[in-house]
Amino acid sequence: MTMMRFQTVERDSFFTRLDFRPKLVMMAVLTIIAFVWESPLAGGLLALSVIVASLLVGVKPAYIRLVITVMFPFYILLLLTHGFFNIDQVKSLTGKTALTTLFMFPQNWPVIGGGRMTVEGFLYGWNVIFKTLTLTLVIPLGIFTTEVDKFIVGMVRARVPYKLAFIFSATLRFVPLLFSEIQAIIEAQRLRGLAMEKMGPVKRVRVYAKVAVPLILGAMVKSQMLEVVLQSKAFTGSADRTYLHESVLGPLDYLMMTFFALLLVAAIIAYFTIGFGKFGGPI
Amino acid sequence: MTEPIAVLEQVSYMYPRSPEPVLRDISLEIFKGEFLGIIGPTGAGKSTLCLSLNGIVPQFFGGRFFGRAVVAGLDTLEHPISAMARHVGAVFEDPETQLIATSVENEIAFALENLKLPRAEIRARIKPALAAVRLEGTEKKHPAELSGGQKQRLAIAAALAVQPDLLVLDEPTSQLDPIGSQEVFATVRELNKELGVTIVMASHAAEEMAEYADRIALLAAGELIAMGRPDEIYSDIERLQSHALRPPQVARIFYLINHGGILTPSIPVRLESGIAELKALVADYPLMPPTRLTEPPIRSGAPLLAVKGLKHTYSDGTQALLGVNLEIREGEYVLIIGQNGAGKSTLVKYFLKLLEPTEGVVTVGGTDTRTITMSDLARRIGYVAQNPDHQIFNASVAEEVAFALKNLDFPKAEVETRTRESLAAMGLWEARDMHPLALPKGDRARVVIAAILAMKPEIIIFDEPTTGQDYRGARYILEISRQLHRMGKTVIVITHHLYLMPEYAERVIVMGKGTVLLDAPIRRAYHEIALLRSTYLTPPQAVLLARELDDFKLLTPQEVADCFIGGHADQDAGGAA
Repeated sequence: MTMMRFQTVERDSFFTRLDFRPKLVMMAVLTIIAFVWESPLAGGLLALSVIVASLLVGVKPAYIRLVITVMFPFYILLLLTHGFFNIDQVKSLTGKTALTTLFMFPQNWPVIGGGRMTVEGFLYGWNVIFKTLTLTLVIPLGIFTTEVDKFIVGMVRARVPYKLAFIFSATLRFVPLLFSEIQAIIEAQRLRGLAMEKMGPVKRVRVYAKVAVPLILGAMVKSQMLEVVLQSKAFTGSADRTYLHESVLGPLDYLMMTFFALLLVAAIIAYFTIGFGKFGGPI
Repeated sequence: MTEPIAVLEQVSYMYPRSPEPVLRDISLEIFKGEFLGIIGPTGAGKSTLCLSLNGIVPQFFGGRFFGRAVVAGLDTLEHPISAMARHVGAVFEDPETQLIATSVENEIAFALENLKLPRAEIRARIKPALAAVRLEGTEKKHPAELSGGQKQRLAIAAALAVQPDLLVLDEPTSQLDPIGSQEVFATVRELNKELGVTIVMASHAAEEMAEYADRIALLAAGELIAMGRPDEIYSDIERLQSHALRPPQVARIFYLINHGGILTPSIPVRLESGIAELKALVADYPLMPPTRLTEPPIRSGAPLLAVKGLKHTYSDGTQALLGVNLEIREGEYVLIIGQNGAGKSTLVKYFLKLLEPTEGVVTVGGTDTRTITMSDLARRIGYVAQNPDHQIFNASVAEEVAFALKNLDFPKAEVETRTRESLAAMGLWEARDMHPLALPKGDRARVVIAAILAMKPEIIIFDEPTTGQDYRGARYILEISRQLHRMGKTVIVITHHLYLMPEYAERVIVMGKGTVLLDAPIRRAYHEIALLRSTYLTPPQAVLLARELDDFKLLTPQEVADCFIGGHADQDAGGAA
């Protein structure tokens, strides 16, 4: 079995050479803006920019496709719920007393007869989709473009407690092992004659739940072993240690942090003055 | 040997909630520059003794510690583990769990960072540490990209970078294939002989320990039973056997010869001295042709399991199988050997339908496996995983055995009958209400086998059943395989431990580079020494010593000894391997 690995982009660019701290600022700023903007057009532009930037710095199109594919059912659900049921919030955002009908199910249809999808609700649904898309893709943009070493040291320099940074690093190391263990256990179950293909979903879930038994026991043994290993390597969890890798901010890092700080300020001012990003605003 | 680097004085230790001491009144000295081997059966206290050298026992585990352990001048009770870590490097059994960083250089740096060494110093130590274990150029690699042997060598490099006074290795080769094991032993010997690093290594690898260690400490039930040079420890066969330990095969051969009435000047424990003494014996005594060499029965009829033109290429382009053709007949006991990456596991995955053939055909009893489901196949082929715990899910032994039968919707009466029969056949009837995980590891494997047996499969595959086991554990599981074979099952075993198999296997399939390099009866296969060595497999010492006699194709120490004593040796004078 191929070992699952932490993804890093293969393309070297100014972005991959950046310190993790400006990327942390970028992720925070884009997340805030995505939350603030309600306009589907502005939100769409933001999501599109994140997608284009991700592709430019080397995030694989297949990964972006995977994210969109996995999220697709959720997106449909968002469009339906906002289109049919988000009436009050949309009315208050637009200031309208009556919403525009996009389409309506005939009254005589059972259960859904008379259900009405509104244009405003439908558009707000798109805004929420773009929000989630931005939030989901800004993480690979920041993290996949950073080597784990820089990432950990960057976190420590950004005053994240060392223990947390270590837990993150250890997770990157051990989660793939855990996945291969799960795979081995499921294979072992199937090899004991479990006809997964013939089972209903409830029975299948029950069988999968049994994976937890050997998995937890194995994880407990491994975690004690890991503690022994850490002790033997003089690990105390204290931040009072040295680091092999440096985390030094260069001019480009400062430039990026300034750019994103200004972008945040500009976005907020534009939102409150000319209504840029507001639902029903100029854009 | 000059001054001691570690001194243990009357050390006894009990883990918390442990009813009995794990170490009992142990006193020993470890000298600067020596290679001290620690041997003993599972549960002897070897790992605990190793952990007491860096203070993890008792500081991390708690429990009750008596006596005094001083390492590099530091009392292990009075100095924190982090301070002891500067003086004692540790390497453990599992290559996966002990590597904690996401790159090779970070792994080396981790302990140095914890010890607050300046960045420049850390950088300066990485290259020499990697060079010492021949891993130069791998600095940026992820540990997952390394082989098992490379992972263990990386763990050694990480320990070495601290420049410890003492390097402690606890069963560092037990999870490795022969290449990995050779790599680790060669590295440790080089560190010891070239750089003068003091080594303490616990291991079951008798032949290698006899070859490399300066002194051996024999532990059993927490007590230090004996301490001495390898030739002193390993030549006392009866003492080793009384503690369920295996001597190097060369020592066992000479023990049997002596036991049969021909007295030799000594009982050699190293291959080279064994060959020299054997040559002397050949000059003095007439060779008696072996009279009771067993040959496997010739099996005819349609193959039970057949593979035709099987090829497999992984998604990354790696070719794992390059057109494999095989036929296994009913009632055979087949051994599959080869290095990791040779294609053994891939081949077995095809047997079990875990992989679908893209090119080639796998048939079971004449049926193409593509036409049947995996659960149907599981009724015909049972699979015993290396780790039996992966296959245990239920709260009682009886439920475990009935688990698959119920899932396959067997009638209730049939489930009960088959469960009862399987439990009885595996000697588990008395333990039927116990929790499977409350049983010892060997018995847990027995539970898995009982569960498989309940499906009444024709073929049973054991996947590396001897890895990580001591001699007693390995023999225990192989005896079960023999029992199944005698019940008429076709048995396939994958193992790296060639010395264990002559008593069991009839036929050997040597895999290498995705092909079948050799498919022959065991007596012929084990004597294809050049071919085995070309794929880094080392034949057992009995085979290598037999080459010094006539072309008798001998396999076991008993058979070699019989050439001198004519088969009069006491057959109960110990195990065969």
